[in-house]
Amino acid sequence: MKIARLFIAGLALAGLTAAASAGTLDEITKRGELRVAVQTQGPPFSLVGANGERTGSSVELAELMAKEMGVKIKFLDFDWDGLIPALLSGKADLLVADMTPTLARGMKVAFTTPYMYTGSTVFTKADSKFKTTEDCKAKGTKIAVLLGATGEKEAKTAFPDADIKSYKGGGPLLLDAVNNGQADCGVNDVSAVKGQSTAYPAGSFTIMPDLLSKEPLAFATRYDEPDLLVWMNLFLNQVTIDGRLQKNLDYWVNSDAWKKDH
Amino acid sequence: MLENFSFRTIVEYLPLFGQGLVTTVWLSALSFVGALVVGIVLCAMNLQRGWLFRAPAKAYIDAVRATPLLAQLYFLYFGLPRLGFVLPELVVGILALSLNSGAYIAEIIRAGILSIPRGQVEASVASGMTYVQRMRLVVLPQAFKVTIPPLLGQAIVLVKDSALLSLISVAELTRAGQLLASDRFMPAEGFVTIAAFYLLLYYCLKGLAVLSSRWLGTAGART
Repeated sequence: MKIARLFIAGLALAGLTAAASAGTLDEITKRGELRVAVQTQGPPFSLVGANGERTGSSVELAELMAKEMGVKIKFLDFDWDGLIPALLSGKADLLVADMTPTLARGMKVAFTTPYMYTGSTVFTKADSKFKTTEDCKAKGTKIAVLLGATGEKEAKTAFPDADIKSYKGGGPLLLDAVNNGQADCGVNDVSAVKGQSTAYPAGSFTIMPDLLSKEPLAFATRYDEPDLLVWMNLFLNQVTIDGRLQKNLDYWVNSDAWKKDH
Repeated sequence: MLENFSFRTIVEYLPLFGQGLVTTVWLSALSFVGALVVGIVLCAMNLQRGWLFRAPAKAYIDAVRATPLLAQLYFLYFGLPRLGFVLPELVVGILALSLNSGAYIAEIIRAGILSIPRGQVEASVASGMTYVQRMRLVVLPQAFKVTIPPLLGQAIVLVKDSALLSLISVAELTRAGQLLASDRFMPAEGFVTIAAFYLLLYYCLKGLAVLSSRWLGTAGART
């Protein structure tokens, strides 16, 4: 008798915990909407196209995710340093940006396996006296970086004597600051710099061939959304196998083929 | 709730907050002096009879009051260089705050001067005072007294507005909070701390207002 009662209580308890951890995926299905945090900072990862539509490599991958989930998608726009706080505060289910899964960020959010690799590069204005990465090491050189980006820390390490100026917002601000002469050199991901410099006349910037770092890029969710993380990894695995990821990256990141369409 | 709040991190970042606070204080002080100069000049122009000085002053005050400070700041920092003027961020910051606050201060001073009853001006004209004597002895001492409280109110606004300078890479108080928030992903700790420091600055200015009104109450010009 007693054992039977215990058994039933145990079953009920298991049922309760199962219900409690029904998970984010169920929630998203019920809601019918996937909420994605992005930073619309410019090509190639996230931009507003010629017709005012939101697009880019990360944006298309997120749209593909929502399509595979069978739900609508809702994008929420944040500054670079606001992306992780937005995710942590539950405003978004996941974040797609050209974000590097650093160990420090990994203490806060759960990253998928990396889906591509890039690196931080140094860029200068084409006609400036700073021609190489070495030139930017001079004492007092003004280096523009993005608040909260990996380039911020790399610049501090690579240019210890420089005057690091961090901007809040997106990568295009760094290009502006360097183009305007308010900073001598800028540090950001090479894929971002290449994509965003297309907004300027060709040959406005010198992008150094050497990279300060190797940076994997990944998407992120919260640690209390393990089901979503598992699904996102499954998704990345699937699009890698069927070639949709390569097609996306070839179009947006590895070439400027997107320019004629957007 | 509070068990997630890391006082330890705030203490760790205190030197950074200290530097930011110092920058905010001297930036705001310089900008306020600049704003006073801009305000007095604008107000003097605005009080002229001829439209030649009055019209540009009015147009400027309207333009500044109608546009957001953020837009003015971005124009000076990111826009002006395209027209050939590249200024460092500290100069842009002080300039933007002075030019913006100056427009409001011009109106505060004007209201102060216009609050002096017309009869007093007429009486001083009748007793043979020159324009300068009239202003120095009759109008300005009284106008000064009524403008002090709104001027200190404007100073408080200016201190809070200086937070926007973090957006053009000035390492002031708000930027210190942003750094904590972005380095450690602790927005609560970062922004609560700067709120406390701004509150401190607010009380300092408020204390100044009380002191100055007391001083003016006894030593100020009486009619």
